[in-house]
Parts: sequence; structure tokens; C-alpha cells
Amino acid sequence: MLKICTVYFDGFYTPDYVERLHDSLRKHSSIDFEFVCLSDTDVKADVVLPYNHNSNIVKHWHKLKFFSPQFAYQNPGDDIIIMDIDQLIVNNIDELLGHPVSDNELVTYGQWWENKLGINGGFYKFKSGSLKFVWDDFAINPEYWQLHFYDNGTVHKKYYGEQNYVKLKVLEHKAKLTKTPSQWIAKYTDDYAENLNLNKMYMQKFDTDFMILDKEVNEKLKVVHFTGVGRKINADYLL
Amino acid sequence: MRIICCRFGNKFTQWHVDNLKHMIDEYSGLKYDSFEVIEDDLYGNWFNKFQMYDKFRDGENLYFDLDMVIYDKLPNLVRKDFTLLDDTWWRAPAHTPLNSSIVSWTGDVSYIWDKFREQDDFYVDTYTKGSDEWYYKFIDYKTYDKVCPSIKDYMYNKPPQFSICTLGQMQHIMEEGWTGWYSDYFLN
Repeated sequence: MLKICTVYFDGFYTPDYVERLHDSLRKHSSIDFEFVCLSDTDVKADVVLPYNHNSNIVKHWHKLKFFSPQFAYQNPGDDIIIMDIDQLIVNNIDELLGHPVSDNELVTYGQWWENKLGINGGFYKFKSGSLKFVWDDFAINPEYWQLHFYDNGTVHKKYYGEQNYVKLKVLEHKAKLTKTPSQWIAKYTDDYAENLNLNKMYMQKFDTDFMILDKEVNEKLKVVHFTGVGRKINADYLL
Repeated sequence: MRIICCRFGNKFTQWHVDNLKHMIDEYSGLKYDSFEVIEDDLYGNWFNKFQMYDKFRDGENLYFDLDMVIYDKLPNLVRKDFTLLDDTWWRAPAHTPLNSSIVSWTGDVSYIWDKFREQDDFYVDTYTKGSDEWYYKFIDYKTYDKVCPSIKDYMYNKPPQFSICTLGQMQHIMEEGWTGWYSDYFLN
């Protein structure tokens, strides 16, 4: 069984982000999957698990729970994908959802824009339980890890650093890190000038005519990721 | 014999109280006369537990935190003298060696409550890491033998040599969506 796991909590986003991701995944995939959302409200998902606001675990750090084989009714051999909800699927995604993965391996987005960290928290794929150390190490002291990368100056916003933590643990435990072809993903924003520049970068990198032109997307693209702090999906785009 | 627990604030719900009673009734083998729940939120934190030393001044008393898993017959945990857990055998040194997830005494130990009430505001402001440090500094106590490990060392395999674990940082496993050996013992 393939499980696609997400987290939603009241704050920056709205429940329709979950629905949009869910619907676009179903529309552009022939692979069967179960869509799970850890949420503090009713959302469109096959399984909705409660988001606990009284927990010592905060915000997007709840994502790490899916690394535990004891969470979300995982079974041995399941393939687990964790996705952020600020994404849209725009073309057939079977190659991404079905991307091969082995035990002790983490598959993440390859991206063509700057990423010094070398990991993208918008997409993690792994075999159920094979990377359980990510959760187990975190769960011993969540308060410490949730502020660790802010306290040491690696990130500049409190409670950021979840990607840094995952990368650290992958390295520590000598897991294999695999990246998907970077041509599959677009970065997009609600800023016209910035989108022009992103298009230009994509065109040059992949020797193609455009990335996203009005509501037309490049045939190689599978996912549009509205990345960056404070960035929302503009409902007018790509729908 | 009196079983005592304490619930206040948003962290724990009636389910947690019912769950403790369920595990005691189904698995612990304990026979008790009353099951008491302290719910008066005087301090907004763990110092609320101290009310039990005022309220229950006679007989045998056995207190449990709500974030425990009880999965087999418990050894005799009832004590004459004021007794609580010593955690130093399973965790790194901390501000206190003590853990009041399990506490027992017989008769009247209201001197603990009286001592605390003398300067309760000061103590609450000073001992911000928990009331266990306060016991360590101000109260004579005895400790249990190795009866209650942390589940953090046994997430994937039930420890057969024990019958109760404290959840500590792992209390999320009581939430919906978690399944492990411990789930079989929680109230559905």
C-alpha cells in the first residue's frame, strides 16, 4: 500500500489546500494510494488523524510522526510519501509516486533553484519504518530539536529547521538520499516579476520554451510547489 | 486502599482518567476501595498534585500519573512511608533523581502540603521544571526499586520483566493513529 501523508493545521493555510492537493493527485495518477491527513479540522482525505494543539510537538514538525511505523496504521512493506500541502499536481505523476525506493533510503525532490541543504521537505518517500530513527530520535526531545536550528543560527525563524533535522539524521544514520529529476518540479509564486525570472531559469536549465505560461504548464512538469515563507497558492493559477 | 490520579487543564481529558481506571481494573490486579480524581486547578501545573496530601490523610494511598501504560499484574506498590520513583537507573542525570509518576504513603503526610503552602507562589515560580525537584530538596522520601521504566526504551518490544511503563515524552502514543504493543492495553 502507498500512503500519501500530509499535515494541516489552522493558521496560514486553509482546508481547501488539502482538497486541492488530494484532487490533483487523484486526477493525475493511475496508482492506487491512501491519502492521510493529520489535521485539526475536517479535510478531504481517506484517513483524518487528530492534530493535537496541546502537544509539545508544534506545527509542521508533526510531519515527522509519519517516519514512525507505529503511526497512521502503517504495515510492513508500505511505501510512505510525506507531502506539504502547498503543491499542485499538474501532469501525470505515476513516475513520482511510483519512484523506486529501498530500505534505508529517502527519496526527495531534486530542485533546480538554489538549495544548499540538498533536501526538500515538500516530498519525502521511504519504506515504512526503515527510517524510523528520524522520529525516534526526535521524540526523545522534541523541544530541543524544534528550536535547535534556530538557536544555532542555521534558520532565522522560530520552529523552522525540520528539513535540516531530517538531513542531519539521514547523514548520521548513513541512509541513502535520492533526488527525483529536477525538471519535474516548478517553483512558483504570486509575484509576476519573480515568476518571469523563474521561467527564465527553468528555460535555460532545461533548454525549453517555458515553465508555466499563463495556465499552460511545461509537459515535463509534474508538480508546482509554491515554496517560500508566506507564499500561498493563488487559486487563479493552474486550476 | 485508595487509588488517586489528577487531571486538570487541556493536556489530559476524561478519556485519560477512564483509561487509567481501565488498565488498573483489567491488568494490574489491584484491589482498591475508591478511585479518586483531583481536578481542582489551583496552580495550572503539576503542583496541583500536592492537593492529595491534604485531601487524603488516612489509610493506604497509591497515586498514578495519567500518562502510563499498565499491562500486567503490578508488584505491591503500597508503602507505609512516603515513597516515589527514582529514575536514575534509566535516564541521564537531571535536576532531580525523582519521578512522582507513582507515589504511595499510608496515613497522614499533610506536612508536605503544609510545607508547600507556606510559600507556594515562590515554589511554583522557582521550580519550573516540575514538582519532583521540590520533593528532592524539601521532603524526606523513600524510593521504589526498579519497577517502572520509560517506554522510550521499549517502543517496539514490551518489557516482560515489568508491568508498567511511564510514557513521559511519548504520551503522543495515546492519541488516535498510534498503534504498538501498548495499544492493546489502552481503552478503546
